Amino acid sequence: MELLKKYAAFILLGVACIAALAFYTLNIPKKRSANVIERVLLSLFYPVIKPVASISGTIDGIWNNYINLVDVRHDNVRLREILNQQNSRIIEADEISQENQRLAKLLDMKKKIRRTSLTATIIGNDTAPWFNTLLLDRGTTSSLAEGMPVVASSGVVGQIVKVAPSTSRVLLLTDHTSGIAATILRSRARGVVKGRGEGVCILDFASREDDIKVGDMVVTSGIGGVFPKGLPIGEVTMVKRGEYGIFQTVSIKPSVNISHLEELLVLTGSGND
Amino acid sequence: MIKNVLGILIIALALVFETSFFPTFISPEFKPDLLLVITVYIALRGTFEGGAPLSWGIGLLKDLFSGLYLGLNAFTFLLLFMVIKSSSDRLYAESGELFVVAVSLATLGNVTVSALLSVMFTSSPGVAYSMLYSLIPHILANAFSASIITLFPLFSSPLPEADTP
Repeated sequence: MELLKKYAAFILLGVACIAALAFYTLNIPKKRSANVIERVLLSLFYPVIKPVASISGTIDGIWNNYINLVDVRHDNVRLREILNQQNSRIIEADEISQENQRLAKLLDMKKKIRRTSLTATIIGNDTAPWFNTLLLDRGTTSSLAEGMPVVASSGVVGQIVKVAPSTSRVLLLTDHTSGIAATILRSRARGVVKGRGEGVCILDFASREDDIKVGDMVVTSGIGGVFPKGLPIGEVTMVKRGEYGIFQTVSIKPSVNISHLEELLVLTGSGND
Repeated sequence: MIKNVLGILIIALALVFETSFFPTFISPEFKPDLLLVITVYIALRGTFEGGAPLSWGIGLLKDLFSGLYLGLNAFTFLLLFMVIKSSSDRLYAESGELFVVAVSLATLGNVTVSALLSVMFTSSPGVAYSMLYSLIPHILANAFSASIITLFPLFSSPLPEADTP
């Protein structure tokens, strides 16, 4: 009896271990379903676990969405600045690229003309809508003089009028007072291109018998010695022959887009330069 | 003195806006003629002695940057000044509505006189057609700019010439 008392603790422990092992082994076949103990315990803990989980979720949300966002805001500001800088660089690069393309075209024109010329930039437009003149950033200090022809990469722009020391004005070919000796490239019919305002010109003094069709290219004839021969002026958009009269009405759309001009070439020398 | 300098600055600024700023953003027909608006303001609010040479000068300034005929706008601006001035003393010149109406009528007068002078004295009478073509949008643009000017606090303050007895 004394022996039993002496080893009672060990015996109980052994029985408990065996009982635990038996409980485990007996539950192995029913591993996918909850037994009574499991169901009871889960039911007991459910009312506590749910609100705690909800509170934990709220705390986690506050931490992630508010407290932990202090650095994110700083990052956001910094990244926005970087983005703005990058956008400015992209715009600047686009601008430089477009300028480069324009100047390359102007250089091509300069090579074709084979006359001494000077590049000028447009700094202003006419203050009245019914006159067509432009203000250039070069004047007598750059050896500009009245009457000098002005061209762009796509064709004739006009003539220099009213020169000041550092600025000068260009009378556009679309102005009512402008007149340029011209010829039709295909049929060699001659006339004078006169401005009609609103970005349109007409070919004046083209006789009824001249072969002129819509789509014909109009170029400078070189007569008068102001403009070199063969510079593109525009394209014929309308031809009208009346029943009477010795001339026909010819409308011309200029080759140059005047509203988009930025850099121009002023032909300063004669053809012999 | 400060008001005179401010006036010159406003005229210079208006000219720069008309030649270099507006053409980039506004089509020529809808470009407001700020110098004409200023002339109308001077005619309504200024004195005859100071306003007449000033309006002629403003017109001349406009001629420097417009067309080929130096003196065309100078003459028309002076004429408009005299016409408006002759009746402004009998009107409530501080009225914003009157200012807008006066600018609209002055634009009409400016275009009409310029067209007449071009037809009579120049070798390019066709410019009159262009003037008439852009008349309506030009009046609208000028009236709109005049209506905006009436909102400025400077509009209600008297001109320096008006201070002198």
